Amino acid sequence: MKASATAAEIAGDVKAGRIKARAVIEAALKRIDRHNPMLGAFTEVTAERALETADRVDAKLAEGGDPGPLAGVPFAVKNLYDIRGLVTRAGSKINRDNAPATSDATLVTRLEAAGAVLVGALNMGEYAYDFTGENAHDGPSRNPHALDRMTGGSSGGSASAVAGGLVPLSLGSDTNGSIRVPASLCGLFGLKPTYGRLSRAHTFPFVSSLDHLGPFARSVEDLALVYDAMQGFDEADPAQSKRVNEPTAARLKHPVPGRRIAVAGDYFTGSTEAQAHVQKVAKALDATKVVTIPDAQAARAAAFLITMAEGAALHLDRLRSRPDDFDPEVRDRLLAGAMLPAVWIERAQKFRRAYRDKVLKLFTEVDVILAPSAPMTAPLIGQKTASFGGVEMPLRPHMGIFTQPISFIGLPVVSVPVWLEDGALPLGVQVIAAPWREDICLRVAHQLEASGTCVAPVARGFAEAEVGSA
Amino acid sequence: MAYKPFDADALIDATAPLLQLQVAPEHRAGIKANLKTAGKMAALVEQMKLEDDAEPAPVYRA
Repeated sequence: MKASATAAEIAGDVKAGRIKARAVIEAALKRIDRHNPMLGAFTEVTAERALETADRVDAKLAEGGDPGPLAGVPFAVKNLYDIRGLVTRAGSKINRDNAPATSDATLVTRLEAAGAVLVGALNMGEYAYDFTGENAHDGPSRNPHALDRMTGGSSGGSASAVAGGLVPLSLGSDTNGSIRVPASLCGLFGLKPTYGRLSRAHTFPFVSSLDHLGPFARSVEDLALVYDAMQGFDEADPAQSKRVNEPTAARLKHPVPGRRIAVAGDYFTGSTEAQAHVQKVAKALDATKVVTIPDAQAARAAAFLITMAEGAALHLDRLRSRPDDFDPEVRDRLLAGAMLPAVWIERAQKFRRAYRDKVLKLFTEVDVILAPSAPMTAPLIGQKTASFGGVEMPLRPHMGIFTQPISFIGLPVVSVPVWLEDGALPLGVQVIAAPWREDICLRVAHQLEASGTCVAPVARGFAEAEVGSA
Repeated sequence: MAYKPFDADALIDATAPLLQLQVAPEHRAGIKANLKTAGKMAALVEQMKLEDDAEPAPVYRA
């Protein structure tokens, strides 16, 4: 099975009996074994469990049953998802002293119910407070397209594993951009669904007001298949909405008219590099309209403050008892977050509703808004500052300037990968829709993939790595 | 409200005992830098006019 095989292709081959699920998983485990030392994507590999799960898929097929739409597809999850029997480290040193998880995260259970096979846990920025993919304890996850460069974070291992062809699918989390930024830097499709769409139960939280979970993939069909398999109400997540399942995979080919697609102006045009990528997408979609997302800078500021304060509240006891066991950059932001006046946070939350009302009005005129996923292509690992609008600024918080105003009000987004020329590093574009319209984001992403505007290949040097066969 | 520089050391010295947080000397520079950034962010949010009946959205419902 090739490293570049999509989830849909793997499931098709497994169900047709052309390959055993066990052989697919053995090949994935070999790729992980061979390439992970270079990529730093996986922190734990669940080989024994994976082979047992694969055998169950094969047994079900042998009995004439249907293992599900993701039959035999290997996947891995950011290490803040609970995996039965493993400690949920959430990128930290401190959490390694916790007891192992007694059950799987709801989304892991859902994917395995659809026939997918969990193969391990993935590297991430400590406690998800990160846009770089660097980890002070486990080392950085590396960008398969340029190993000396960042994956972006905090779901860095989730992006590295898929762009490096170790697995076709992974799951991450996105509070302020932690799926969209690494999808952008690693040249992948990433979905951050509407806030409240997918269950977050049995994952380690960061900022309850803003936490979302979602998938990475190298094809839009795969993204839709995995998203569809994860939908459904779960009373264990108190923030999840009671929403009927709205499957998307079968409707990907329904086009969205260009006149209903707009580019975000003003605040979102602050990076010349990113604008070139947005324009390529706009041109391919025949989208000429420009809209202003009002008060985006204040929205980003409000998300920043809520994140600091809620993050600090979550970690207050650990900040008291074990301050030196944090990544210093995370610790100092959390300590500062504990000291913020409460009125700032209350006003930020009130502004959130007012801003939401203004932004939702835009969706009476358009169905889709395009904006950059990140201000730049992948920086070098270890880089601390970068030029933003001609001013040298701290890199770490600025990678999220274009994603934060969108997730602040929970809008669904697919980040699509754009390459300006062969050999260049990719940069993502956010395809943003109204709440609950993930289907529109996915349809536009599919249109862009079908026209060849957006592609998400396995990185060179990893694509050829064919290990094992039927 | 425009941002005005403030004494971040004084804020740290006042709140750390209240919160029972130990601030080691080597942590102080990072905390100060983050508090200053937060102050600038708060000034941006405060420029947004809020009506008296504005409701917060701690759990966002789309």
